[in-house]
Amino acid sequence: MRVIIFSWEYPPRVVGKLANYVRDLSIQLAKNKVEPFVVTYHEYLTGEFEEGGLKIHRVTNPVKTHISVLTWVLTLNQEVERVAANIYYKTGKQISLIDAHDWHFIPAAVTLKKALGIPFVYSIESLEDHRSHGANSPFNMAIKSIEWLGMHEASAIIVKSDWMADEAIRIYKVPEAKIKIVNPESGFWPKNVLEVYKSLKEAVFNYG
Amino acid sequence: MASPLRVMMLTWEFPPRIIGGISPHVYYLSKNLAKNDVKVYVVTCDFPGAPDHETMDGVEVFRIDSYKNPSPDFASWVYLMNMNMQKEAAALVKSLGGVDIFHAHDWLVANAGIGLKHIFRKPLLATIHSTEIGRRNGLHSDYERMIHETEAWLTYEAWRVICCSNYMVSHVRWAFGLPEDKLVMIPNGVDAKEYAKDAVDLSQFRKRFALPEEKIVLYVGRLVYEKGIQILISAVPKILEKVNAKFVVVGNGYMKEPLSEQVKRMGLAHKVLFTGFVDDETLRSLQKCADVCVVPSLFEPFGIVALEAMAAKSPVVVSDTGGLSEIVEHDVTGVKVYPNPDSLAWGVTRVLLDENYANRLRENAYRMVVEKFNWEKISQQTKDVYKQVLDEYSKTFWA
Repeated sequence: MRVIIFSWEYPPRVVGKLANYVRDLSIQLAKNKVEPFVVTYHEYLTGEFEEGGLKIHRVTNPVKTHISVLTWVLTLNQEVERVAANIYYKTGKQISLIDAHDWHFIPAAVTLKKALGIPFVYSIESLEDHRSHGANSPFNMAIKSIEWLGMHEASAIIVKSDWMADEAIRIYKVPEAKIKIVNPESGFWPKNVLEVYKSLKEAVFNYG
Repeated sequence: MASPLRVMMLTWEFPPRIIGGISPHVYYLSKNLAKNDVKVYVVTCDFPGAPDHETMDGVEVFRIDSYKNPSPDFASWVYLMNMNMQKEAAALVKSLGGVDIFHAHDWLVANAGIGLKHIFRKPLLATIHSTEIGRRNGLHSDYERMIHETEAWLTYEAWRVICCSNYMVSHVRWAFGLPEDKLVMIPNGVDAKEYAKDAVDLSQFRKRFALPEEKIVLYVGRLVYEKGIQILISAVPKILEKVNAKFVVVGNGYMKEPLSEQVKRMGLAHKVLFTGFVDDETLRSLQKCADVCVVPSLFEPFGIVALEAMAAKSPVVVSDTGGLSEIVEHDVTGVKVYPNPDSLAWGVTRVLLDENYANRLRENAYRMVVEKFNWEKISQQTKDVYKQVLDEYSKTFWA
């Protein structure tokens, strides 16, 4: 199984907890016969890298000057699409799914799904409502609309706690059956992620 | 190529949504490409009352959800709209079984065009109608720099960049540092047939705007600094010293309030009429009634209003700048002036006081418009660029 992983942070770029989690996840997936391709951002270390047996693709923003993280993210998505499409064509179109971590590259995941039929998992580290404490300026609402898009276009949603599952249901009215709780503190979390991936793959075979 | 070439046009405006010149441009280009055996799919923003999907003059038009939540600012809205446009266009391309070329108009659809190019591995063409650095006469904030860099990104990703005048080719080449062989000049066009129709009784129509003894001086355009409307307003008393005229100002913009205040202070409110935005038929009738049309722009990538006036057989007085310099040949197809009130007043009175001279300009200009700026010819030139790009594409590993 080949999986493309989207994350806006990955070592050496560490913003929060997500960077190391995505690296641990990739290492564990590789041990379980999944070939992960990480697509991430770095200001200047761009290109394809082999790091500990993992394939890491780093892109930079084609537009350097920005007025907010929102516009910054929205012009970065096309570079993510470009690299994801390159992986797709290089592997003979054999990509099972995309695992998009947080909202940043949801636009790319949704477009790739519509264009190439690659389903995606939306893995939630945090939500805009919690980051901005319920603020509802047009800026926050725009980020929330991207989270909403991800929630509704994803084939499955992975959260890290029961509380976050409740929040996703409360804020975005997501059907409960779509949400899978994977606690990264538990000993068997990589297996749980893998189960979600496999359920997606089966669903694609059933319907596709 | 046995099956017709399939082009997906991306544009933020398409009739009935009309904000500026891109909407009519893409409409006439698409319509004439369709007549010329090109399958055209237009993907554009939705508009109240317009259907999500329709066929207009052989062109398939798809209107996308243009992101209607409140947005922090215009540029953020553009990027959010592109997210939706790209998503819907991607599904459309998949359902159509593919297209051959993506053609994007201005930075307003840059993200969508660039993403689709890479995902479907098809060539992207861009038409640059205007630039941020030109509109603002420099880059003065991060907001403006961001838009400028987005324009640069679009021209970087495009296989060819089309501009509508030689002036714009050189401007775009300078602004983004492009190689010469990436740029193509294809002029903008005007449909002279639209002006040949006699929809209304012009002598009756004229009475709505001017007294019989008044000549009509017509301005059409956004009421913004770069269009030079303030130059015309300052020239009004100078012109009125020589000729009795009514100044009809069509269009909206942030300068409308200050300018109408200025006109009142000058005691000339009865001589200057601000009509706001008018429908196409009223506009064409006005252009046909006008004794002179003025285009006093300070920055003008092309100058379509001058061509429209010529098609309506109105004499034109334009400032000698940008695309206007190329359209108008002084004393032959119009009058060129410096962008200042004295020079403009000189040009306008010259046309209004010499009927033989005015008639000669009308005839020459009309003939030139029909020969050089007709959409059949322009669509053929565009199709030739498509074919050339597809030929190059067929030799790449994407094919």
